[in-house]
Amino acid sequence: MILDLHTHSVRSDDGRAKVDNYCQWIRKKELPLDGFVLTEHRQYDDTSDYRDLEDHYGLLILKASEVETDYGHVLVFGVNEDLTNAFDFARVDNHIGDVLSAARRCGAVAAPCHPGRPNVGLFAHYERKGRIEGVDLVEIYNGGSRPGEDEISEAEAQRFGYRGFGGSDSHIVSRIGYAATEFDEPVANIDDLVSALRGGRCHARTFR
Amino acid sequence: MRFSDVELGDDLPETHPDISMERVKLFVKSAYMDFPRFTDHEFAKAEGLPGAIVPGVMSQGFLAAMIHQWAPGAKIHKLDTVFRTTMVVDTSATCRGAVTDLNEESHLVEVDLTMLNHEGVTSVIGTATVELAD
Repeated sequence: MILDLHTHSVRSDDGRAKVDNYCQWIRKKELPLDGFVLTEHRQYDDTSDYRDLEDHYGLLILKASEVETDYGHVLVFGVNEDLTNAFDFARVDNHIGDVLSAARRCGAVAAPCHPGRPNVGLFAHYERKGRIEGVDLVEIYNGGSRPGEDEISEAEAQRFGYRGFGGSDSHIVSRIGYAATEFDEPVANIDDLVSALRGGRCHARTFR
Repeated sequence: MRFSDVELGDDLPETHPDISMERVKLFVKSAYMDFPRFTDHEFAKAEGLPGAIVPGVMSQGFLAAMIHQWAPGAKIHKLDTVFRTTMVVDTSATCRGAVTDLNEESHLVEVDLTMLNHEGVTSVIGTATVELAD
């Protein structure tokens, strides 16, 4: 089962993709995706209901968040009310240690995305400020990466012993599925996703 | 190009607009925005830029031109862009588009837009809403 774990819709300030257009694009282009996760910037969308789209297109649509920290952007899967109360999703300067520990405490998974990006990625911050504890999973394939960035992500993740996943980071419809994550077992809901990510029962795929 | 000719997923023909200094100078003079960050590499570098940059509205114009080359006579109802990085003057550029939605009633077409720089990095993303003839 393959899911794109990093997508943005019009709910993100720089997103220009409608969720139903993602679905029809996946089907029309026969992309090898079984679903995708919406990771809107600095927020958790607890209002949108995509069950009709899931039924119509036979796709799994899950919701997560992309938050901002002093060590770069972090995807958070398994967001719940406890977690949204634990730190301010809207801030751009959350301490990554707070985000990682809050996610762990609330049963979620927090994982830095595009960590190989110069200046703003996790590994660039490591060079300047040193390694932090609590990271065990990073996005090694990002569909928006510049040439060479994913190679840095992959090599550094291997060096630090981090597991990897993939996501397109699509902000427009036609970019969905550039990178994704293949799961060893079926994922039916966000709990299954969190469990698989925690257990390492998945691996990153790139389709660029 | 008529509405009935278009299908979801169609790619627009790629364009490679001229972003030479000569062209940019002509544009900024015409648009009354003749500022050195667009026309002077050294000045732009002193401002922390990688070189003189292509004005954002000029990039939008290239994307609109791509749509009109694909569908002459089409009406662009909306063109919405997000600028992700700079386009440096005297390099090369590629504009791409793809049809992502069609409205059978209004004959409006949604188009994804991207503009890539000389390194293949996406500099501009966006969408357009385009009305095509019957």
